[in-house]
Amino acid sequence: MVRLLSVLVSVFLLLSLLSGCWSRRELDELGIAVGIGVDKAANGYRVTTQVVSPGEIAAARPSGNRTPVTVYETTGSTIFEAIRKITTKSSREIYLAHLRVLVIGEALAKEGIHKALDHFSRDHEVRTDYFVIVAKGATASDVLKVLTPIEKIPANYLYLALDSSQKLWAPTATITLDELITDITSEGKNPALSAVRVIGKQISQTQKNVESIEPPGFLKYSGLAVFRKDKLIGWLNEKESKGYSYITNNVESTVGAIACPGGGKIAVEVIKSKTKIKGKVRNGKPNIDIVVKMEENVGEVECEIDMTKRETISELEYAAKLRVEKIIKNTIKKVQSDLKVDIFGFGEAIHRADPAAWKTLKQNWDEQFAQLDFNVNASVKIRRIGTVANSFHKEGVE
Amino acid sequence: MTNNVKISIRQFTILMMFYTIGTTILVIPSTLAADAKQNAWIAAIVGWLLGLLIVYLYFSIGKLYPQMTLIGFLEHTLGKWFGKLVSLIFITFSFLGASTVLFYLANFMTTQVMPETPIGAFIILFAALVFMGVRLGLEVLSRSAEILFPWFLILFVVSSILLIPEIEIQKMKPIMEIGIKPTIKAALAYIGTASLPLVLILLIFPSALNQKKGAGKAFMIGTLLGGICIILITFLSISILGADFSSRNMYPSYALAKQINIGNFIQRVEILMAGMWFMTIFFKASFYAYGVVAGITQLFGCKDYRPFVFPCGMIIAAYSLVVYPNVAYMMDFDSTVYIPYVITIGLLLPLLLLVIGSIRKKMSSR
Repeated sequence: MVRLLSVLVSVFLLLSLLSGCWSRRELDELGIAVGIGVDKAANGYRVTTQVVSPGEIAAARPSGNRTPVTVYETTGSTIFEAIRKITTKSSREIYLAHLRVLVIGEALAKEGIHKALDHFSRDHEVRTDYFVIVAKGATASDVLKVLTPIEKIPANYLYLALDSSQKLWAPTATITLDELITDITSEGKNPALSAVRVIGKQISQTQKNVESIEPPGFLKYSGLAVFRKDKLIGWLNEKESKGYSYITNNVESTVGAIACPGGGKIAVEVIKSKTKIKGKVRNGKPNIDIVVKMEENVGEVECEIDMTKRETISELEYAAKLRVEKIIKNTIKKVQSDLKVDIFGFGEAIHRADPAAWKTLKQNWDEQFAQLDFNVNASVKIRRIGTVANSFHKEGVE
Repeated sequence: MTNNVKISIRQFTILMMFYTIGTTILVIPSTLAADAKQNAWIAAIVGWLLGLLIVYLYFSIGKLYPQMTLIGFLEHTLGKWFGKLVSLIFITFSFLGASTVLFYLANFMTTQVMPETPIGAFIILFAALVFMGVRLGLEVLSRSAEILFPWFLILFVVSSILLIPEIEIQKMKPIMEIGIKPTIKAALAYIGTASLPLVLILLIFPSALNQKKGAGKAFMIGTLLGGICIILITFLSISILGADFSSRNMYPSYALAKQINIGNFIQRVEILMAGMWFMTIFFKASFYAYGVVAGITQLFGCKDYRPFVFPCGMIIAAYSLVVYPNVAYMMDFDSTVYIPYVITIGLLLPLLLLVIGSIRKKMSSR
């Protein structure tokens, strides 16, 4: 009897498991958000959410006359409200775990972003592996409404383009939310985010944009946005942004041109770069040493130069060293004179080197930074010159 | 009851390790980073060393009357009625401990993993497991610890190795900048969660061990191993997330596991980290629960503790739903009330007992 009863009870208990998980959410009930843009609105925020349309992405034969993503625009006095309001427009619940980019509109960035970021750091669904970027001369909503070629999902395009330009060309910064928050709260470093521009705004929002071989409307990364704490205060152009990447040790590879001794140019490819920042305080004055160690390959020779000689290589190494030092110096000088805000983490370097002196220096660090002395010392090794030794120019010209 | 239960030295070592790691690994990196900033790992080491002293204290108490459990010892040294009164203090402590540990786990689950599931579901499931373990007895608990140990080790080692590429040593610097005071404060928080609750081990130590020789050593080694795990997690958390982000995060070690990303292929494995805590928290909760049940049994001089398991379990599960009305209350309680409370129970009271106990022993031997 007891045996029978216990069997019955366990059968009923097991039956209750058949209904499945408690808070299950089927894939076809989720709207997977890949990009979110935050703009300023009259009172609160305008949130633009780019949601994947799975029928167009996953189907073996997409219909072709629907866009692969849909953008929902909602306003709310807080970000969370605005995101939830999407349900009035969308058939599916927004799922944020696959977010690739968070775009911040220029107007909001100028006012300060810390309030807007809290939700993204607090919500359990959002991870920290997406990039935060700033829309330059545009709203975040413009950025997320551009249809891009090759990548069907524009947010993926934004993510991948940023990632590859950081890896191969250097003047961008792949900053994730946790890094951004650390920079905002740090006393000795201010954030800098990649800036993205929208070209051909009107046409870029329609399917027509991706129908021509050269899309008239597109997205383009251009330099960095510089923040003081959480407020946007200025921009760096491409060259300065490259300098920023050198200083913050974020250059994996890039290409630069150096002048030949006898006129003409040589392009060199950076294959390895390592930057160390050392701070010290002398007589109460902060001082920064930047040491860059690089390895390069020659990638293009557009002048008459004997590449087989050892002296040539050392000449080129010297020229390349000067080039990098100049880029770095110009960047620091520009930031010191125009923006007057420490985006390089020099303050943190001083803090690490001399915690006691930092306590007094940090009180007016922005001013200290503007007049800070620095030395740049680069050392360049050119390793390889490609598959040919001397160029064919000499013979070709004659 | 404990007289016929025997656990081996190795099982005891593993139990102590799990007990030390317990909830500590979940919350302590954040507490340490809040006070000691980038020196959190130093504070953890300080706490670890202080913890050794505390273990030595418990070991000395255990050595006084090796055949007695804590409750019997209290009655023997403090007299029947006063002893029973003090035992009540220990029983309330384990009661609170069991409920809060259950809450910790359930709160973590509802905050981070399954926010739509009611907290009661986690509490009931986990409490059922814990009290099943307690009912089956210490031997079963120890054996399951022995079985789970390799799994814990694999998870811990793998997740630590996967995190190595993310380390940025710069975030640790400047070393030693933070003064003594915040470091001690952080170290106190460490021993408050990791070492002082070990006082309940006196319920089984050393009377339930099958050999008394090497028991003290096993106690030490277990807590040392547990401490190493916590120091490592704190170190990783500071060097990867940074002091600021670690202190801001409620569960930094979970945030830490979210950082794992090897070639965009091995990623989103944070639930493995959570799996580790389920094991350690299970043993911590079981010990607290055992403290309640065994304490009550011995207090009233009953022979068998099994009849008490179910009612105690229901009360504890119900109480854990209300023990903290909200999360802010929990954080406030843990940083203000809990530390002095646990110091009283885990340090002052045992010290007093040691003094009284040794005087008694000397008098009786004379």
